[in-house]
Amino acid sequence: MKEKLDRLTENLDFSLLFAVLFLCFYALLVLYSSTRLATTEGGDPYFFVKRQSLWALLGFIFLTIIIFIDYHNLERYSKVIYFGAIILLIMVIFAGRSTYGARRWLAIGPFDFQPSEFAKIALIAFLADFLSKNKPKLDNFFYYLLPFAYTGLLILLVFMQPDLGTSLVYLAILIIMLFVVGVKIKYLVFTFLAALFSIPVLWIFLKDYQKNRLILFLNPNLDPLGGGYNVIQSRIAIGSGGFLGNGIFSGLQSQLNFLPAQHTDFIFSVVGEELGFVGTILLLGFYAIILWRGIKIALEARDLLGSLLAAGAVSFLFFHIVVNIGMAMGMLPATGLPLPFLSYGGSFMISNLMVIGILLNVELHKVKW
Amino acid sequence: MRESSTVPEDVKQRLNWLLIFVIICFSILVISLWYLQMIKGEEFKERAVENCIRSLVEDAPRGRIYDRQEELLVTNRPAVVVSIIPAEVDDLEKLSERLSRIISISPEEISQIVKNYRENPFKPVKILDDCKTNKIVEIEERKDELKGVVLEVKPRRDYLYHDFAAHSLGYVGEIDKEELQRFGNPKFQGGDIIGKAGLEKYYDDILRGEKGGKEVEVDALGQEIATLLYQKPVPGKDLVLTIDKDLQLFGENLFFGKKGSIIVSDPNSGEILALVNRPSFNPNIFANGISNSNWQRLSSDADYPLTNRSVQGVYPPGSIFKVVTAIAALEEGVTDRKRKIYCSGSLELAGQVFTCWKETGHGSLSIVDAIAHSCNIYFYTLGKDLGIERFNKYMQKLGLGEKTGIDLPAEAVGIIPSAQWKEREVKEIWFPGDTINLSIGQGYLLLTSLQVHNLITTIATEGEIYKLHLVKKIISADGKTVKEIKPEIYKKVDFSPDTFQIIKEGLRQTILKGTGWRANIKELAIAGKTGTAQNPQGETHAWFIGFAPYENPEVCITVFIENGGEGGEAAAPIARAMLEKYFNIEN
Repeated sequence: MKEKLDRLTENLDFSLLFAVLFLCFYALLVLYSSTRLATTEGGDPYFFVKRQSLWALLGFIFLTIIIFIDYHNLERYSKVIYFGAIILLIMVIFAGRSTYGARRWLAIGPFDFQPSEFAKIALIAFLADFLSKNKPKLDNFFYYLLPFAYTGLLILLVFMQPDLGTSLVYLAILIIMLFVVGVKIKYLVFTFLAALFSIPVLWIFLKDYQKNRLILFLNPNLDPLGGGYNVIQSRIAIGSGGFLGNGIFSGLQSQLNFLPAQHTDFIFSVVGEELGFVGTILLLGFYAIILWRGIKIALEARDLLGSLLAAGAVSFLFFHIVVNIGMAMGMLPATGLPLPFLSYGGSFMISNLMVIGILLNVELHKVKW
Repeated sequence: MRESSTVPEDVKQRLNWLLIFVIICFSILVISLWYLQMIKGEEFKERAVENCIRSLVEDAPRGRIYDRQEELLVTNRPAVVVSIIPAEVDDLEKLSERLSRIISISPEEISQIVKNYRENPFKPVKILDDCKTNKIVEIEERKDELKGVVLEVKPRRDYLYHDFAAHSLGYVGEIDKEELQRFGNPKFQGGDIIGKAGLEKYYDDILRGEKGGKEVEVDALGQEIATLLYQKPVPGKDLVLTIDKDLQLFGENLFFGKKGSIIVSDPNSGEILALVNRPSFNPNIFANGISNSNWQRLSSDADYPLTNRSVQGVYPPGSIFKVVTAIAALEEGVTDRKRKIYCSGSLELAGQVFTCWKETGHGSLSIVDAIAHSCNIYFYTLGKDLGIERFNKYMQKLGLGEKTGIDLPAEAVGIIPSAQWKEREVKEIWFPGDTINLSIGQGYLLLTSLQVHNLITTIATEGEIYKLHLVKKIISADGKTVKEIKPEIYKKVDFSPDTFQIIKEGLRQTILKGTGWRANIKELAIAGKTGTAQNPQGETHAWFIGFAPYENPEVCITVFIENGGEGGEAAAPIARAMLEKYFNIEN
């Protein structure tokens, strides 16, 4: 154990850890600003901040645990993890708590958690193991389709909740990991084209609100009060921040509640309004550090399994960051994906830190112990 | 110790591609943020401020209108408007359904009104104007299930006596597009209430007052957080009219079912005591926002109830115009007190035969008798002797063909035919026969009742015409007199005292033994003239003009009944009744 700790301090990627810690504190500040006036039971202005801190603490515990379990154990347990995720998602459908017409939460004691978040980790672990074991066979097109089937099962289960955004995350993780493992580009192009042509078919299965979101993405002014409202207000908030922002706690849009979901999906707008271009660029800079370190870890991993784990972790964070910020700026449809480390939410915070745990794990085990 | 990595080269290559892709995506985000925050920043800043600063207008209460005894005629009452704030509605269909059960508007219509309004989601959309009290109570009781419904109290114009003096008072309405363009910002905004007709329009600036308002900071629910600025509205000023409510009401009752007008004024000041116009309308229906069907009904009515006949209507004056002929002839020396003309019932002039209304003829008449009996032949002769040029000069002196300057909008001027006028408008030369027709108030001549009224005033005052007006004074909301309207000379004519004397005698004789006998009151010396004007619209118009008492006139009256028949039969008794009322004479 002592040896392990020595190696840890020797090999740990402190710049990555620092970036993550910074983001967590940055998040608490912005979260405090956007929720201090919110009416909560007891009127505690720190209500959300306290809870989020607790989640972060819990996340770091998970992160630490993950670091110490050699990722090579996955070679034995990846299928168990995968089926565990499936079972949890099925439980959500039958026993989940529903809010806003979606059934997403499972209750453990006083806490609700979102299995679909942990399924992201499970998917990364499972695909890394599966793809690293079967890399040569992936040149066979039918073998190439197999991971789609595994992922498809998860997608189907979260789609039933329904949760379009999360199912897109699964898909993004799969595609990026397939790309990294080295499948033929023409397969990927083919998949893309097939997906494109299947959109009209999928359209039929979309819920009305999902269809509306896509339509409103194309023209938010169609319904400035309804679905388009969020995006318009969010753009106003970000834009009005200017270079230095209105100052923390001083965003007109954020403080006066014009921004909906401002502590969850639209937290970036609060950053934009209150901290301005400086604040958003700072945020993007730290994300860039995390992603860059992540890809570097993948490049320097001891083996393919480690490389793919890191790549999966990067793809998860990357997709969330780009889609969330793109949505806040009105460049991408509102899919309801939260922003890593920033958005309020326990399960998401924990899964973010678990993903960082995976990266550090791979980093730590790049040398044989 | 360290073993070389077993990660395949192609995977490393793909990872490098992934890094490039990440860099590209981040670059796009950075550029977009630059655009949104640095380039568009100022613009969005403004929008953000607009987003949460609301200007709330507080309407100034419109000035009230009183009669000359300061009895209230027009005031404001609170009217409750039922509105919906779109931004606060969760389920429009459900809300419409619930609201529909209380107010009698279909749920589809309610949701349609809300959906059609797309400007500002925090601004209440009017659903029902002037809601009844029992419904207000019901809405208040069910407030919890009617989230998004608001009741707003707005001042509503209230014409206490409905169609009383409607044409003089006028009506108010929401400013229309054209008016908005003409008067424009910042004085007016869409939705403002302004005077549309009558005194409401003429004195709009005085009655309207100044809007107040406040700028408030609101949150996303439109709830006021802080008041940044408050400007108290300045209430409009009140008008005290020259109208005597009782006399006006009496005249309106006399005229019920008739078409036409009565003007009663004080010749020594120009104050109008009664200005009756029939048929009338109820201005309250405009105050509530006139419905389409009401508007259709009023504007397509063949009797033109919206027309202010005394101000906007032009009519041939008929025999009352003989007064003008007489003035011109006396002043020009064409006739005098002694000149007698024989009336045989008809007269051939310029190759045409002109008849008197009395076929058997009046025999030999002096000018006083000719006026009293309204002999056509006498005045034909005067007209012929005068000629149109000289004749026109006196019409001009008397202000005929000009606006009287009454304080009401859209006054008509009528037509004073002259040789030039005929050439210009009819493209014909002036025939002597035209002058003959004109001398008894027929032909092309068209006058407003107000002009006719000024004519009788001229006689009553022997040459001083005061400007006719309806407003006596303007008082502020707290009762202080802001402005007293002083009598103002409209025109002074310098005819010889003899002329006035002769005409006055003629008018007095008209009542005592002539065509105006039905206006005679034992207790009161009245002077007057009747007129029966032929017109292309059918039945003759009945006219009566007069003043009383004969010495030191206190009051002048003009009665005009459109297609009313004979002036002596139809108009004179009305004038008598009005004068009895004015002088408190029991009959």
